[in-house]
Amino acid sequence: MVGFLLRRVAVSFPLLLAISVVSFLILNAVPGGPLSAYENSPGITPADLQRLEHTLGLDQPLHVRYLSWFAHFITGDWGYSYATQQPVLQMIAERIPNTLYLMGTVYVVTLLIAVPIGVFTALRQYSAADHIVTGVSFAGLSMPTFWLGLLLIILFGLNLRLFPLGGMASAGAGFDVLDRLHHLVLPVVTLSVVGVAHYSRYLRSSMLETLGLDFIRTARAKGMAERRVVLVHAFKNAALPIVTLAALDLPELFAGALVTEQIFGWPGMGRLFWDAATRADYPVLMGVLAVSASMIVFANLAADLIYAYVDPRIRLA
Amino acid sequence: MPERVGFRLLTIALSGLLLAGCGGSAKAPSEAAPSKGGTVTVAIWQEPNTLHPYYGTQTVATVVWEVAIEGLVRPDPEGNYVPVLATSTPTLKNGGVKVQGSGMDVTYKLRPDVKWSDGQAFSSADVKFTWESIVKDPKVSSREGYDKIESIDTPDPLTVVMHYKQIYAPYASRFQWLLPKHILDGVADVSKSDYVRLPMGTGPFRFTEFKSADHITAERNPNYREKGKPFLDKLIFKSVPSREVALAQLKAGEVDVMWNLLEALLQDIQNNPDIKLNIVSSPTVERLELNLAKPGNPADPSVPHPVLGDVKLRHALLLATPKQRLIDKLLAGKAKPGNSMLSIGFFAPSLKQEEYDPKKARQLLDEAGWTPGSDGIRSKGGVRAHLSVASTTGDKVREQVEQVLVDEWKQVGIELEIKNVPSSVLFGSYSQGAARKRGSFDINMYASSPEPDPHQDIAGRLDSANIPRAANNGIGFNYNRFSDANVDKLIAQAGQTADQEQRKKLYGEILKAFNDAYTNIWLYNRSNIDAYRANVSGYSGNGWENLTWNSQNWSVKR
Repeated sequence: MVGFLLRRVAVSFPLLLAISVVSFLILNAVPGGPLSAYENSPGITPADLQRLEHTLGLDQPLHVRYLSWFAHFITGDWGYSYATQQPVLQMIAERIPNTLYLMGTVYVVTLLIAVPIGVFTALRQYSAADHIVTGVSFAGLSMPTFWLGLLLIILFGLNLRLFPLGGMASAGAGFDVLDRLHHLVLPVVTLSVVGVAHYSRYLRSSMLETLGLDFIRTARAKGMAERRVVLVHAFKNAALPIVTLAALDLPELFAGALVTEQIFGWPGMGRLFWDAATRADYPVLMGVLAVSASMIVFANLAADLIYAYVDPRIRLA
Repeated sequence: MPERVGFRLLTIALSGLLLAGCGGSAKAPSEAAPSKGGTVTVAIWQEPNTLHPYYGTQTVATVVWEVAIEGLVRPDPEGNYVPVLATSTPTLKNGGVKVQGSGMDVTYKLRPDVKWSDGQAFSSADVKFTWESIVKDPKVSSREGYDKIESIDTPDPLTVVMHYKQIYAPYASRFQWLLPKHILDGVADVSKSDYVRLPMGTGPFRFTEFKSADHITAERNPNYREKGKPFLDKLIFKSVPSREVALAQLKAGEVDVMWNLLEALLQDIQNNPDIKLNIVSSPTVERLELNLAKPGNPADPSVPHPVLGDVKLRHALLLATPKQRLIDKLLAGKAKPGNSMLSIGFFAPSLKQEEYDPKKARQLLDEAGWTPGSDGIRSKGGVRAHLSVASTTGDKVREQVEQVLVDEWKQVGIELEIKNVPSSVLFGSYSQGAARKRGSFDINMYASSPEPDPHQDIAGRLDSANIPRAANNGIGFNYNRFSDANVDKLIAQAGQTADQEQRKKLYGEILKAFNDAYTNIWLYNRSNIDAYRANVSGYSGNGWENLTWNSQNWSVKR
């Protein structure tokens, strides 16, 4: 077990390194570049442009720039944004709490709703309720979040005036828990719909499979209460794929939701990435990518470990 | 939230009563004495990268910092430079500008009653420090003009004498933002200091909070020189995802002000009693930019474009473009047909507007030897009159304009193909191989906004030295690849003429020559359109400035 852990951690370093090289190359291949905004501004002379290029280090060859970024990165110096002049680490630190707050709520809400629905629809397979829930799930699965988000904004924000149209809090108001929650509702609903549909479908099929197994029939034959059969014996086994899924979704807690944060004006990581991408702010993009790539590698490892823990049949060696 | 709905109903009922009482006069609110206090929230949908006035190039950043930072002079609504922290604008006539051999001296007298918002006195040392910072700080975006100053003398705290190495005609456009010496002097790297997010100035407000992608707060500056102003306690710039969301929030009353609306969005709010529009002519002109050189990567300006190289064909394209119809149908009638890159201001030339005349266009093409083929598209010497136009994807109005052009030009025998690209690609850099910079295009459609002093814009776009090419690092905006030795000469002359009337005459000649070569089709002159909730007053439009240029006069009734 410990050996497995060490090996996996050791393998993840070259993996992350490779990801950073590929990201760096792709970012630099995108047309535009950090200085294009300056080039189109009147008053910028060739001398100005050359000086700015030199100041940002953009006159260096690609490999030199990557090595210099990497050398600083591993010592904890993630560099400064080309656009805002702020330290990249600070910019990320400003956004991570906001994203954790949004995505964490989505995560909890999704699981709280999806698990009972999954169990219920499996127990009442082919009932009217199952058909309805299945139909709604498919609708949820096929709904693009940008469309659903806009729909909710138009309906509940613009027409009914029940919820604010965006942002994390009312501008200018001090900290107010109710105000925060009020702003949280629509983005959470938008992001949870897809998640609930996703998870409940998985759980339903996994429950159905488990309920048909011999050990469940044995448990019932022993005269065990149906409640106990379903919740303890069947659910615990059926929950395995959900655990893996939930662990693999963990990185989203930090990476944020690109589209939804944009639609709702949420000051999170997804929006930071988007803004940085539109202005070719390489240091910020590399920082955000480093965070999400490490989280993905970590989450995969966590999924394996949790899997082994909940299912003793699986041995990690 | 029932309280809120109730409150809204009450405000609507009250404003209805008010309107009824005033006999529907829309001007009523500004006549009453402005109410004091309150907060106004302005929607912005781009994140200001930095609020340092000499870093970066975003207009949105200017909209924000302008409530706190001031300079020596600024353009008024007519495009004349009027004093802000100076007592007058130096000119040759009032003796503020003196020609000294090949150089010139510009003398500014400063107002005695000015303090920085932290209470420290403002003086000529701050002006000198601003110049020193601009020419020393490597992060400053443009040093244009400042690099032509040899030295600055400060004989007393209220006098600044700038010694220019040469005659620099647009001198008044410099020093529009001043930096506080007592805060920044001795700071090793200003870009890493707090100043870039919470800059301090002498303006009506001072910044107190910068929450990235969320909001920026500015509070009343207690040391502001105009007594009793600003009227507002607080201005909040709220970050919203897009212009459309800003509009929705304005309608819902979540924000009070939004700037830079598009004409196409007006239909939606024109008759909304809760919202007032402020529309002023702006210097922004939408153009079709014709490439006179054969498309290449990079294009060689000495080889003419196989189709657009023919001046009669370019003239025909202009005649086949129904500007007024585009404005009426696609821009809600809220623009004027263009005929020059300078649409307003002191330097705007009076040039001929050629009316839409497809018959004459066909005649010109016939004369030039472009004969129609079996499909109606003309050709000459085996070259088919096929052109492509590039604009920014996702811009609905531009896409509609292009479709009209495809149809109109086809009727005179010219085939137009739409090849739009994202704005980051259209406005891309030379090093990244952008078509506009490299010259690998036929026609581009976009807008540009010259400064009140047009020298940089005219030189940048018309001087043959400013055709982007490897030799000049791809700098310059002469995307037409327009080259005329006489125009180059006139531009150099205008840039070194201190007499403004004389300069105006020279620019008029230059722009006429530019039009006579049919290099661009000036589609329409845009307006600045800002929208306010009906309870906000005191604002007024200035096409040369931004939304917040007179924020000290804003007030709100709650």
